[in-house]
Amino acid sequence: MKRRSVRRLSLLTAGTMLAALALTGCQSGEKNSGKVEIELVQYKPEAVEVFKELEEEFNASHDDIHLTIDSPNEAMTILKTRFVREDIPDIIGIGGDINYSYFLDSDMLADISDYEGLSDIKPAYQDILKALEFVPEEGVYGVPYVANAAGVLYNREMFEEHGWEIPENWEEFTALCEEIEAAGIRPLSFGFKDTWTCLAPWNALAVDLAPADVCSQVNKGETKFKDEYREVSEKMLELLDYGPEDPFAYGYNDACTAFANGESAMYTIGSYAVPQIKSVNPDMYIDSFVMPGSSEADENVLNSGVDLQFCVMEDSENKEAAYEVLDFLLKDENVQKYLDEQNAVPCKEGDFDLAPMLDGVKSFIEEGRMTDYQDHYYPSEMAVDAQIQTFLLKQDTDAFLKKFDTDWLRYNRDIIRKVEDYEANKGSSK
Amino acid sequence: MMGAKVKVKEKTNWPVTIMLIVGLITVAFPMYLTIVIAFKQPSEMTNSISGILSLPKSWSFANFAEAMRVTDFWHSLGNSILITLATVLISIVIHSLIGYAIGRNKTHSKFYNFAYLYIVSGMFVPFAILMMPLVKQTAQLRIANWFGVIILYVVFYMPMNVLLYTGYLKNIPVALEEAARVDGASTWRTYWKIIFPIMKPMHATVAVLTALGTWNDVMTPLVIMSGSGKNTLPLAQLNFQTQFGTNYNLAFASYLLALLPILIFYIICQKQILNGVVNGAVK
Amino acid sequence: MRKMNNRKLTFLLITIPILALFFCFNTLPLIKGVIYSFTNYKGYGAYDWVGIRNYVDLFQDVRVGKSYLFTFKLAIVTTIVVNIISLLLALGLNSKIKGKSALRGLYFIPKILGALVVGYIFNYFFTYILPVIAKALTGNGASMLSSTKWAWVAIMIVCAWQAIAMNTIIYISGLQTVPEDVYEAGAIDGATGFQKFKSLTFPLILPFFTINMVLCMKDFLMVFDQIMSLTKGGPAQSTESISYLIYNNGMSGGQFGFQSANAVIFFIVIVFISVFQMNFLGKKEEQL
Repeated sequence: MKRRSVRRLSLLTAGTMLAALALTGCQSGEKNSGKVEIELVQYKPEAVEVFKELEEEFNASHDDIHLTIDSPNEAMTILKTRFVREDIPDIIGIGGDINYSYFLDSDMLADISDYEGLSDIKPAYQDILKALEFVPEEGVYGVPYVANAAGVLYNREMFEEHGWEIPENWEEFTALCEEIEAAGIRPLSFGFKDTWTCLAPWNALAVDLAPADVCSQVNKGETKFKDEYREVSEKMLELLDYGPEDPFAYGYNDACTAFANGESAMYTIGSYAVPQIKSVNPDMYIDSFVMPGSSEADENVLNSGVDLQFCVMEDSENKEAAYEVLDFLLKDENVQKYLDEQNAVPCKEGDFDLAPMLDGVKSFIEEGRMTDYQDHYYPSEMAVDAQIQTFLLKQDTDAFLKKFDTDWLRYNRDIIRKVEDYEANKGSSK
Repeated sequence: MMGAKVKVKEKTNWPVTIMLIVGLITVAFPMYLTIVIAFKQPSEMTNSISGILSLPKSWSFANFAEAMRVTDFWHSLGNSILITLATVLISIVIHSLIGYAIGRNKTHSKFYNFAYLYIVSGMFVPFAILMMPLVKQTAQLRIANWFGVIILYVVFYMPMNVLLYTGYLKNIPVALEEAARVDGASTWRTYWKIIFPIMKPMHATVAVLTALGTWNDVMTPLVIMSGSGKNTLPLAQLNFQTQFGTNYNLAFASYLLALLPILIFYIICQKQILNGVVNGAVK
Repeated sequence: MRKMNNRKLTFLLITIPILALFFCFNTLPLIKGVIYSFTNYKGYGAYDWVGIRNYVDLFQDVRVGKSYLFTFKLAIVTTIVVNIISLLLALGLNSKIKGKSALRGLYFIPKILGALVVGYIFNYFFTYILPVIAKALTGNGASMLSSTKWAWVAIMIVCAWQAIAMNTIIYISGLQTVPEDVYEAGAIDGATGFQKFKSLTFPLILPFFTINMVLCMKDFLMVFDQIMSLTKGGPAQSTESISYLIYNNGMSGGQFGFQSANAVIFFIVIVFISVFQMNFLGKKEEQL
């Protein structure tokens, strides 16, 4: 009896182990067809169709390289877990935000300053990436592909019908809001229940009213947010008067639906919201203008940042092939294909057709009057979006700005120390 | 004796029945919302109460067909079923065994009492702290695939299931086993012949709990299986949500589709729970 | 004597491999997590040792403190609400009613849906339907989810709506272990209604009550999906649960090391509470 029971148990255990072995054996089967394999993971699942098309075209026209483009949902989580697993793709397509800074700081990205295609990229966008480095690094680590723009979307038919003019400074903007309200229409849509949407008007105002490099100035201890962000905060509060009664009850989707159904004349959000709005009202004529945060019209700039850039990973063994993929993606017709699909702004020099909802901001793009999103410098765990939401609910500007400063020092402690070390070394080496 | 007879003939308790039926509104109303939204087109979505409660303009299954296409339904369904069924079966075998070993010994053995507390306390480990190390570990063991996900689930649900099994064993008298032991049966044999069948209602409960947890889980397959080219249904459903746009109509249609298999599974298990009790009553 | 050893050996052969499996995929990663809590690891790339800095910070962090208060408030209230309602529901569903299994099945549906999905559905309810009803009744049509005072109640309702299903099932299976003759004896003694429940039924299902209390408390202390789908921690960071902070700042943000420290403390706290609960209720069980 005893022996039998032991044997059964060991059979069970052995069976499980065998199954495990068999399965892991299957996993390690390799597909080696003599081609160089390049894997690109990009973080915008909404662009999956374009990238699928580009992938097919690339593979049809290249015999020596096989390209796989992956556009997963929750891409940042997936990328981070793949880094942990040391299963690193050759190229990653990410945004020009703090994740880029972190990856760069962790020495994960390759220096691609020898890549020739860089000369076609608008310097303004290369500077934006440069500014995202915690401490100045030598070399280039990303190729800006497309940018997005955020300001104010407006219902163009409604505007034409009522003869409303596009405002160029803050006074004109508030006057316009009063006028719209007098016509019995709600001027603005907000979806502040989704905290990230608080950042859209915040960024758009901040680029007009605060220095572009305010975050690195604070890191160096040269200024404080309580001085630089006061006007931004006050104007955020003013905006609230022109939105729905309870803006914190509605999320991003609700705000898009409200704007699409003509419940409001304007919506302070980026061009990325247009597909969602059009899914509710496909025939809507949407245009946009730059948020006129300042009273001086020429101080107002477009809020535009790198939405998608490609970085070659340090661990990639096929840099040459990766460059060839980048060359292909940067071909004018392929860039145009992406722009058409995603209403994006190209980072490449050249003559591209822009989506109609960018008509109102076109001159700013052409003149290069653009500044990066301020939130690209905020650490996500500081939850600035939620802090802005809290501020808009409690409406206590002083408390908000004070907390902003103290929290900033706490969440950026390691970075600030790095900057201090860097500055000190620079001083001593001189 | 008279009392017992009266009990058996007791009539249907109508007030309670009616109250329970009225109470169903709390379940039915959210389901109504889901179904209505699943059938509507995005252009029918409005922000007013009448627009939300109204019936769709047409009862077309286009959303369902589209949802099935977007999620690659049959493949994702196959993966989900494979993972869920394997997890449930392995869990019932392994967890009831360890539950039995612990349940019968923990009152008089320090070792088993420790094992009990050790496993049950595992229930309280926040998944977030385990996540990164597990990602690394499964990759090193080369089980960053559905097989690894099943192993992880078996371990995740072990604490709760061990708690349930040992709790249930308290109600099963040791005398039952002792009779078998006197007849010369080994512990192992006694377990399979006597204890395992008696625990049927608890197997059903464990099966339901484990199945629901694995069926709806997003996080584990997301971090472990990503890149393996296989999707589960909840993973595929992430397709409906990106930061800059959510198609609620397709998403809700897809949720309803994913609800069906697990609902059938529950109905089967519910019968088992009842059967088990009838068997117990007959004995 | 030989028989006894045999039995012991079988138990050991069952226990050891399963414990080993559990150790590998639960304890080992936990130990690694604890090690990370002494670093400024971001989840990937290089990191430095920072000693106990994360733990020192933890006890000074207002946001973490607030998340503990919120989570405990939510967990305690929800546990009480869920157990009262599901016990009543189980008694109802276990009595002589028409369509018993159909009703049991229908009341279970909430649990079948994923917590995220339930959150999305209730989002509609709280944003568009409840305010209209509230306005008609009280004249105040503000959404619960946008109020720092009421958002947690909305989350409580959603958690309870879903959790009641499972608790009810556990109570029903408990009620079914109560032998019919207990009632028969009770009926002879003339016990009725609440008295019957209190002195006959409840003591017998006390083990199930313990399980429900512990599982409920643990589930709600670790609440995450409902927060993600309903409020994402808002409004004004008033509904950030501990798990939400750990995941959001640790995984999505770059605070993996710090949040690992948070998770370690949280783990200790929950274990402490649950052991207390089980001991307390276990003693009650023994008294009966």
